[in-house]
Amino acid sequence: MSQTLRVGYVPLADAALLIVAQRKGFAEARGLRLDLVRETSWANIRDKLALGYFDAAHMLAPAAIACSLGLAQVRAPLRAVAGLGLNGNAITVSKALFEALSAAADGDLADPAVSARALRAVVTARKLQKAALLTFAHVFPYSSHHYQLRIWMAAGGVDPDNDVNLLVLPPPFMARSLELGQIDGFCVGAPWNSVAVEAGAGFILHPCCQIVRDCPEKILATRLDGADSDHVDEEIIRSSLRDASDWCADAANHQELADMLAADCGPPVMRGTMERILAGELQIGRGGGPILPDYLCLEPAATLLSGSQGLWLYAQMVIAGQTAYSETGARLAADVFVSGASPRGLERQPQSFAGPFFDAAHVRDFIRRSAPPI
Amino acid sequence: MESQPKIAVVDENPLRAAIIEDGLREGGYARITRIEDTSRLAERLRELDPDVIIIDLECPSRDVLEQMFHVSRAAQRPVAMFVDQSDSAMINAAIDAGVSAYVVDGLKKERVKSILDMTISRFNSFARLRAELKAAKSQIEDRKVIDRAKTILMKAKNIPEPQAYALMRKVAMNENKRIAEIARSILTASELLG
Repeated sequence: MSQTLRVGYVPLADAALLIVAQRKGFAEARGLRLDLVRETSWANIRDKLALGYFDAAHMLAPAAIACSLGLAQVRAPLRAVAGLGLNGNAITVSKALFEALSAAADGDLADPAVSARALRAVVTARKLQKAALLTFAHVFPYSSHHYQLRIWMAAGGVDPDNDVNLLVLPPPFMARSLELGQIDGFCVGAPWNSVAVEAGAGFILHPCCQIVRDCPEKILATRLDGADSDHVDEEIIRSSLRDASDWCADAANHQELADMLAADCGPPVMRGTMERILAGELQIGRGGGPILPDYLCLEPAATLLSGSQGLWLYAQMVIAGQTAYSETGARLAADVFVSGASPRGLERQPQSFAGPFFDAAHVRDFIRRSAPPI
Repeated sequence: MESQPKIAVVDENPLRAAIIEDGLREGGYARITRIEDTSRLAERLRELDPDVIIIDLECPSRDVLEQMFHVSRAAQRPVAMFVDQSDSAMINAAIDAGVSAYVVDGLKKERVKSILDMTISRFNSFARLRAELKAAKSQIEDRKVIDRAKTILMKAKNIPEPQAYALMRKVAMNENKRIAEIARSILTASELLG
């Protein structure tokens, strides 16, 4: 008998596994009908999942933890069924800020340690000139985008809470706001950095896989209490997503996948843009660009979860001042990720470029050593 | 007495925003501002400093509000709620209608409820209005199709208008279909055979 799973998602490159599992029949082949519902905001995704309008959702990994901890507007215990992708974000800056960073750089700007120090120099100079604070946009308070910006800034000695303005903007608004000078930079997921670069609005400064290695990005989340009613075997969901992931990992399918994703996002997202993203050939807007196989990781390993991924994200929430550390909180955060944990320890573990090294056994110590310099 | 709460209505659909504003005014709320351009929403709202924000659920800028309230919570300023965490029936009603509301703490619960009730009923009546408009449009469309089919029948069978109409009605009744459907079949057939 066929089972139906109603899944909310936001049209982005990392909705690929869900879209492929549905369109290429991988879910159907296992007796699972995926009913995909487009949403326009992460707040909608959270509320509709929490209230039972969705059985599952394409969700920002930290947003699922925040919802479980009751930090969000609506409280509901959630858990991750599977990962939907690693990485995929990038930091893009306006041409003017890029010029200023280049002038202040003490080395190769492609190195995030160099660019972060340059940012500090620019921030200090602007303070002396009594110029307005630089403004950076991200997509949601509980998002890896937000934490990646903070990690990068803090590495250069920039206080993300006082030295710059951080605000949220819907991804389709980013390029235009950058062009109009309303913001100086942003961190957003694929394809929106590429869209901004191709529109000539700015330059990609860093793909976020250079800021945080193997960052858990989106997960398929479900309610903890959702399992009793209309039980859908989670192993079937995971297997369907793994099949989809095998298909996505095959470069021979990238053209078809790019077509599907570009059509799903709608204009101004072009097929060619998606194709380059899938190939890791990121156009950064100032000649060439590195080939980054890990820019957006949809391969089978990206579907695997571990409690320590949840702990790393929880640590970022504490460092950002969004919650105070507690043993209970840490355990809840890890638990969100545990139900879908891989048995063989093949999952990837995030590590930031600036350190300190993250060891899931010593989370408090990690938080203490990561605290931004005063 | 509690002073008049300041209400911001964030909706990119000007028609619906106007209907909501009218409703709230009729309900005795006078301090209402409509925001239709959401590209600089955070800035507009900071200037306005409203007590209640009503926002269309389909508006991507909902996430902008999440951040604003998140920051104000950290700064120990008034706490925001999605209506009220405990009132899930209210949240359900709001989501069904397609509206979400952010309420700054300190406003009496009854007032929030009446504002939201009003908004939900307006959102619903707007949806109804749109459905009726669509139905009216398709009625006009049907009439046109029936008229054209009638002309074809009159010519083909050399019969007067009332008889052509009666014929279509009879076939529709026999086949348990709408007259418009029969008329469409006649048009299709006439195109194919024509």
